[in-house]
Amino acid sequence: MSVISNALKKLDRVALAQDKFNIFTSLNRDARRQLSENNDDDYPSKPLQNVLYALKDNITTTKLPTTCGSKILEGYVSPFNSTVAELLESSGAVSVGKTNLDEFGMGTAGLHSYFGPTFNPLYEGQKVVVGGSSSGSAAAVAAEVVDFALGTDTGGSIRLPAAWTSTLGFKPSYGRISRFGVVAYAQSLDTVGIISKDIKILKSVFQTLDHYDSKDPTSLSNEFRRKAKSLTRKNSKLKIGLPIELNQKDMPEVVKTAFYQAVDKLMKQGHEFYKVSIPSVINALPIYYTLAPIEAVSNLSRYDGIRYGFRAPTADFQDSIPFAVTRAAFGPEVQKRLVLGNYNLSSERYKNSYITAQNCRASMVKDFDKVFSFPNLLSHKIRNEGGLDLLLSPTAVNLPSSVAKYVKEENTNLVNSYVNDVFTIPMSLCGLPSISVPMRGCKSAGIQLTGQHGDDATVLSATQHLM
Amino acid sequence: MLRYRSALKVWGSRKYSVLLPEFKLKCGLEIHTQLCTKNKLFSLSTNDAFAAADKPNYHASYFDVSLPGSQPKLNYEAILFATKLAVALNCQVSPVSQFDRKHYFYGDQPLGYQITQHFAPFAKNGYLELSKDLDGIDQEHRKIEIMQLQIEQDTGKSIYRDNEKLSLIDLNRSNVPLIEMVTHPQFTDWKEVRAFIKKYQALLRSLGISTGDLETGAMRVDVNVSVNDNARVELKNLPNTSSILKAIQFEYDRHVHIIKEGNQHKLLAQTETRSWNGYSTARLRGKETSIDYRYMPDPEIPVVKVSQELISTVAQSIPALPDAILRKLISQPFNLSLKDAKILAFASNGHGELYSQAELLPFYIKTFENYQEKAGKRVETKLPTSWIIHELLGNINKLSLPFSDVIKVLTPTSFSEFLILMTEGKISRPSAKLLLFHILKDLQQRQDKVPHQSIDFQSLIKEYGLNELKNVDQEELDELCSSIIKEVDNPALIEAIKTGQKRNSIKFLVGQGMRLSQGRIKPQLFEKTFKKLLRVDW
Repeated sequence: MSVISNALKKLDRVALAQDKFNIFTSLNRDARRQLSENNDDDYPSKPLQNVLYALKDNITTTKLPTTCGSKILEGYVSPFNSTVAELLESSGAVSVGKTNLDEFGMGTAGLHSYFGPTFNPLYEGQKVVVGGSSSGSAAAVAAEVVDFALGTDTGGSIRLPAAWTSTLGFKPSYGRISRFGVVAYAQSLDTVGIISKDIKILKSVFQTLDHYDSKDPTSLSNEFRRKAKSLTRKNSKLKIGLPIELNQKDMPEVVKTAFYQAVDKLMKQGHEFYKVSIPSVINALPIYYTLAPIEAVSNLSRYDGIRYGFRAPTADFQDSIPFAVTRAAFGPEVQKRLVLGNYNLSSERYKNSYITAQNCRASMVKDFDKVFSFPNLLSHKIRNEGGLDLLLSPTAVNLPSSVAKYVKEENTNLVNSYVNDVFTIPMSLCGLPSISVPMRGCKSAGIQLTGQHGDDATVLSATQHLM
Repeated sequence: MLRYRSALKVWGSRKYSVLLPEFKLKCGLEIHTQLCTKNKLFSLSTNDAFAAADKPNYHASYFDVSLPGSQPKLNYEAILFATKLAVALNCQVSPVSQFDRKHYFYGDQPLGYQITQHFAPFAKNGYLELSKDLDGIDQEHRKIEIMQLQIEQDTGKSIYRDNEKLSLIDLNRSNVPLIEMVTHPQFTDWKEVRAFIKKYQALLRSLGISTGDLETGAMRVDVNVSVNDNARVELKNLPNTSSILKAIQFEYDRHVHIIKEGNQHKLLAQTETRSWNGYSTARLRGKETSIDYRYMPDPEIPVVKVSQELISTVAQSIPALPDAILRKLISQPFNLSLKDAKILAFASNGHGELYSQAELLPFYIKTFENYQEKAGKRVETKLPTSWIIHELLGNINKLSLPFSDVIKVLTPTSFSEFLILMTEGKISRPSAKLLLFHILKDLQQRQDKVPHQSIDFQSLIKEYGLNELKNVDQEELDELCSSIIKEVDNPALIEAIKTGQKRNSIKFLVGQGMRLSQGRIKPQLFEKTFKKLLRVDW
């Protein structure tokens, strides 16, 4: 089947999938025409010619709105394209639309969007959570209406929905893919990544996006990229670590069984396994839920309704508090995190919260540096020549539940939903490349492969061994 | 007229309120200065907060407007400018400094925070020296210590339309680079404050990093005031030097009054911020309503690293500082007055001048040296000063002629020859004045067709027949003067001159003579002749 007819079939399914799963916040009505214009299918001139994709709706595009799943940006159209949107367009890929998300990326299930929840396409008609915050992106891939989708991952926002939809979800090293045009939630963590079912497409998309961008102050330099490339090993036998902290007794039996079957398979291929401890990982949740909301408080301060987006029709001030009425348009989860962030950012708490969390984060980086053989090219402090190539763990503790059950648990205890990110947050805090690969024999479970910062190549090449 | 004068006198006594020895004034300054970099601090939009006043929100890029997904891009020119200032103020530049976010909501603060340097400022521990002879302070010498320099963003501008209950927002100024300079509270007298501000402005201008103008808001001064170590008051809204000084004096008098009444424990126990309204200060806010700015390091702007090599390179490249230039000019061989030296050393304001000190000072020094060498023993040290500062600059201002055009034809060599011709008596001073004006006028009329050839004064003097007449025929001169007296036809005036009632009016007659002789005859000669003819005995 040619690429183009494959694409047209996918487009045919969009309307129905949107109806069932609420995947998109806006659709590219021009996709069909763009496909036919590129109709030199036999001799594709561009690397992603006529490959269909969707963008998480916190990535700016000039043709479709960028809402971040928030009422506060309802109808907002950016005057500039994100760097990733530019790169994809020039590589010949065709956009299907922008995908739903937890408001500003804050959420683990895909339920906290102003445009309503996204449902998991693996459970048609059952209203099962899809995972978030890149909920629509994972659903679009799972429902097979696109070939790949871009998401953002701040604490697991690509890997968790990828696991729950049995797709590949790759979060590259922090700084690999430009964040220019990505609406910040917590930009010391925010990372653009790729969701797809096809590792070849995923790799090709990564190749398209993996470039230095002078517009992004945190983009990895060309010098770094050259150095990382020169250090990439071509080991046929990998040394893989199983962190004891990333394995919990109360995981469902099916997940445990499938996980060890995968380990078994890799061992049979000749790869070596080691039990390792990364002690600081147990602090990951408190560090993350201190730092991410603090950055969010700061980044979301700009939404005052004056220059763009929603503005309260009444006054800008209420009880002499600026913009209070407008900012009440943030959803409950965002408001919750803003309160938490402001508490920890207040001058009385700052030292104990922010500084402590940053120190803990720095020592976690060191802990990871100790186990990998690939050096940390940003710090150069620790080098473990005989160290590991990769770490392996499940992506999530739980399997996706029904929306009703999820909401009930979240309402019982604020923190319940936060725990879903416990296996993915350490990689975000340390900027490590990490991919969730569908677990064979267990629907909606993922295996997470993690490499040292900068060593994305090893993570991607090892993914094939698991497929 | 009289009433006006007496009113002025009352005001005058207010203006010069006195420091009382038992009430010790202590002031510190916090000065924000816009850097005149080409682009803004974190974006590529043009840094031109004022020229586009009629086009609000014109110089505002995506980041300046804080659009979602935009990112900051640090402008290293601002770092270079800050390094120059830090070196000139004898500060220690931090090897690593960082940018932090200061959070507060306001309509003209589009990010909801200001990017500043709170935790690790750019430079620390500097000083600026003031002296009695150069800065007119009472003590021989004062060293004002500088706490820190930090780089930060300017905010946008709010324009209030009270009757419509609206404020308009202009983001042209948003993200313009600022340097905040904080002194220790070491000023004990407002004269020192004035001297410091003048000196700081001169420094900024000579480094070429800011216009330093208070009037346009390119420089903004906040003052901390305390008396007898009571709680300090921060004074804001001080648009010019006179407001700054008056506000300090007002605040000093207010504190003295409070202390005399014994109310300092009630009224001066807590810090407060007060605003100057032109006549008095009024409370803006106290400590209890201060905002928690919730500072945090910016998570994406890279830290700023300044190497020792960069600091040394900058130190070598900065021009001689105003104080050093002044000291040079008021000593041998130049012996300039302080006033004239200041004209050559630094600009009185930051813009709109037809000449810059960078052009003027070397022109003066080269002309002086050439002249001195050629004149030898006949040297008149005041001649270069008065002909450059008074004649040349005066004409330039009169003709609105840029100095940069003038020096294309009037090189220090040719100008010093011109001076020599005067010293040698080959051209009279009045003729020289006419000739210089003529040359400049001619230059102005040619406009862009400026000849790239320096002026040859000697041949011009010949061409116009301006050589001073050495041997004047006294008979002819008598005749000329008689005819002038006749033509003036004002017996009352002549009588007044004769009796000595209006001695100065003789200058009028001399002027007529100079005009008729085209300045070729010395005025002294005319005066002598007129006195003789009128039989003046005073």
